[in-house]
Amino acid sequence: MAEEKYPINVWVNEERYEKLQKAGLAGMCEEVLAGLKVIKVYANEKQKDEILKKYPTAKFDSATTKSIELLPRKVKDQIFDLVVTKQSVDVLDEFLSKY
Amino acid sequence: MAEIGHGGIEIVERIMDPKEAKEKIKGLKQIPIRSQIANEVIGIAYGFFSPLQGFMGKADVDGVCKNMRLSNGVLWSIPIVFDMSNEEIAQYDIKPGAKVVLTYTDNPMALFEVEEVFEYNKEEMCQAVYGTKEAKHPGCARTYAYKDKFVGGKITLVNKPKINPPYEPYFIPPLQMRKIFKEKGWKRVVAHQTRNVPHTGHEWLMKGAWLQAYGELPIDKPYVGVLVNAIIGEKRKGDYIDEAIILTQDELRKSGYFGDHNHLTSLTFWDMRYAGPKEAVFHAILRTNLGLTHHMFGRDHAGVGTYYGPYDAHILLESVKKDLAITPVYSMNWLYCPHCGEVTSEGLCNHKKEWQKFSGTLIRSIVDDGVKPPRLIFRPEVFDLVMECAEKYGFGSPFVTDEYLQKRTPVFVIPPLG
Repeated sequence: MAEEKYPINVWVNEERYEKLQKAGLAGMCEEVLAGLKVIKVYANEKQKDEILKKYPTAKFDSATTKSIELLPRKVKDQIFDLVVTKQSVDVLDEFLSKY
Repeated sequence: MAEIGHGGIEIVERIMDPKEAKEKIKGLKQIPIRSQIANEVIGIAYGFFSPLQGFMGKADVDGVCKNMRLSNGVLWSIPIVFDMSNEEIAQYDIKPGAKVVLTYTDNPMALFEVEEVFEYNKEEMCQAVYGTKEAKHPGCARTYAYKDKFVGGKITLVNKPKINPPYEPYFIPPLQMRKIFKEKGWKRVVAHQTRNVPHTGHEWLMKGAWLQAYGELPIDKPYVGVLVNAIIGEKRKGDYIDEAIILTQDELRKSGYFGDHNHLTSLTFWDMRYAGPKEAVFHAILRTNLGLTHHMFGRDHAGVGTYYGPYDAHILLESVKKDLAITPVYSMNWLYCPHCGEVTSEGLCNHKKEWQKFSGTLIRSIVDDGVKPPRLIFRPEVFDLVMECAEKYGFGSPFVTDEYLQKRTPVFVIPPLG
């Protein structure tokens, strides 16, 4: 059975979109919910637990979206910057070891 | 004409004439109370908690815990208790027959006529009400924090609360609420229980429930209303601030997504227990007293974590239907379907693989990231008002912070007794 993956939704505001465009990564965005741009960074079970422990304000929306939400804006910025630097959404191992 | 509330019992406000009050409380010992108890004093005195006339005695607590009934046989699901430490009981000489004055914000609030002092096993209370003894359940944590003993007895308000702006138009007690419903000509009113700023999923829950409640009624006039009844009580960090909740709910009416003819916003003071099914029954009782005929119950109503199954509340409500004078309206989730290009119900749309679900938590995360959600998901007037509330009331944040908890304007105070 495939391992369960849980998205962290990094919502793309104007500032983030500008950075993505500059890096030629605008195509990384998905469009959801009638026009919202988002980059989904997926966590496995272990990473999900580690993130929720590390950031107590974060919440796993188990009922509706099965996503990790309410990470502090600064943390989302750090994840976003890693995505841009590595040109990949597979950044959580590095993020967790770095921060 | 008598207004009949829960249990088929007349709603009677327990509020003393201010002139009489001054004389009646003269010389009585004064006990300061915390906000939870002040909220419940209001609940009792104005009839939100009818037929309760005061804080419960042991027979009522026992009946509620063991059979979900008061000692008189009326359905009731959550103990309403007044706790005191042994030291306080000695200090204030609390014993059956004693009369004391409860004070809040340093002024006299209510006369408390003590009938009983008793102990109750808190673990048993937790297991009965919350289905668990775990201290991490917020309702259990509240129960374990109760002091040594409980004091039962009747409550009479001696001094009405002064509701601070912007909440004052939204405090509508049961007898006044029933009058408003009559003036509006509503034959049916459906309750929307909330502690949230509304996204369009909530808006459609209300619209769906309005349609469900309308049923066979004629459509020549607006005969059905939605009452948003926001629970205002203890806040947790990260919640939306109360001002944003109450004002944005009303904004749906002001901005025309609803209208005066079918929508009204109000509040009830209550510290949520997160008791899931038992709290659902309590909400049904509360809204019966407010004069509503229908009550929306969605998935995991008033639940927390994984303590309750998504439809446990519906099952419990069905089992006590004959004891409730309010009809439950069970609501399915609403979601965004890109194929339909609209917000739709999971019971209607069959593009299941394309569904995009959204929740209050998800919307908070979008707002946190500095993004304005699309109008199909979150009304622009609601978003703008959330941001305005952040500046005006939230010290820059629409969510509860330490600063908000320390510096916010209280929802109500008790003024000096005139």
